[in-house]
Amino acid sequence: MSIDSNIMRDLYQRLTLTPDASDQEINSAVARCPNSALRQDAETVLGVAEHRDAYNKLHKTVSDIGQLRARLGLTHAAHWQGDVANDFSLPPDHAISRHDELIDRVSLAVSLYNRWRRFKGPWLLVALFTIGASIGLAFGLALGLGLSIG
Amino acid sequence: MSIARFSPFELLLLKSRSQVDTATLLLLAWVLVHRQQVSEGQRRRRLAQVTAQFRHGHELGPVMSIAHNQDLQAIQLAAEVVRKECSNERSLSILYQAITVATDDGELSLNNHYILGFLADLLNVTPATFSTLFHELTGKPLQSAEDPSRDAYWQVHDPEYHARKARDAHAAEQKAKEAEERQRANKEQQQQKQQNKQRQQEEAHREKAKQEQAKQEQNKREQDKQQERRKRQEQTQQQERQRWQQEQKRQEEARRQQRERPSSPPDRNTRALAVLGLTPGANRADIRRAYRRMAQLHHPDRFYSGSEHQIALASTRFQRIKSAYDYLMQNT
Repeated sequence: MSIDSNIMRDLYQRLTLTPDASDQEINSAVARCPNSALRQDAETVLGVAEHRDAYNKLHKTVSDIGQLRARLGLTHAAHWQGDVANDFSLPPDHAISRHDELIDRVSLAVSLYNRWRRFKGPWLLVALFTIGASIGLAFGLALGLGLSIG
Repeated sequence: MSIARFSPFELLLLKSRSQVDTATLLLLAWVLVHRQQVSEGQRRRRLAQVTAQFRHGHELGPVMSIAHNQDLQAIQLAAEVVRKECSNERSLSILYQAITVATDDGELSLNNHYILGFLADLLNVTPATFSTLFHELTGKPLQSAEDPSRDAYWQVHDPEYHARKARDAHAAEQKAKEAEERQRANKEQQQQKQQNKQRQQEEAHREKAKQEQAKQEQNKREQDKQQERRKRQEQTQQQERQRWQQEQKRQEEARRQQRERPSSPPDRNTRALAVLGLTPGANRADIRRAYRRMAQLHHPDRFYSGSEHQIALASTRFQRIKSAYDYLMQNT
């Protein structure tokens, strides 16, 4: 038993439009559309401002979910089957998992912090020196620029 | 190595005493955001109520704002955490909470329909289990999502729009009908005028004939004495009359032909040509080319994926095109 037996269609994709298309673009695309049933649907859904707003909200959510499913490997799960031509299914994404990335970043931050702790004494001096030097350099540059302009 | 800063949700997760609870909190907030006709305060109170048992130990405000921003990366992270750390029982309880949060007022919004489906897949809950759970919680069976990308959906949800449209179409139709009637009346008037003219002409003819006959009779009487001449004259008169009658017949036939010729056959020709999208004067090659193009465009096999109604419409169109082509091929 499949619950989402008819997942919503992506009218923008079917009319080769983007969701932020202007009314004019939509009208011309609808007029060009060879399928009369699709033309009528598009006229009703995209031609009326309130209908289009409601549709856009759902469109955003469903395309977000399509993206999430692609990243989480859920594109062929039970609640996403049904229509063979599911407009919102993306090919599986090989992006690194967010959780692994978070763990990587946390471990990097931890190692940096530990290193800082270990070399606290000498490195603090070096850091102070470099900061002073860079401030002096910046002043010199600014002066030179001011002279050349003036 | 990424140089990106920690996002608000990542910081929240790191500070949290229970990562699963924080992640669940965000998913529930995501569901709540898509509840319609609920104020922000109500949402926050509801979230606090549902998650009273959670051990996350941080404020709900930031979670709500992340959910409001529909931050996909945060939601993905939360989903991954939930999937990684959840036992079967825990995932069922999360789904349970999500369903209650989504259907407090009895109505499941379309957005939440898709979100709940996603959560069920994420938590590895089969559709059968999910629908029984839904039925137990709401007392209503889970229906399949309606499709607002179709005309039928708006016929139910915005009948006013369709009523307006139908009214407009009806008005336009009536106007067209009136115009047609006016045209027809004009035509009838013209026809009547023509008929009157014809009748007058015929009457004139008849009068002339009568006069001639009268004259001839007079002649006859005058020529009573001269039988031979009269006989000869009679013969000539008869011949003349016959000739005249024949001429009259010929004229009438010609008139009838004139009346019929401009109306019926060329009209059918132009109509057939119009079906193929051509103007009068197209030759056979043009007709054949136009027919091939139209047949390709309107062949019922092109609509095999459409509804039965579409296929039926296409086949009637195709039939019309084909009969027009056959007619033109026979008559040009």
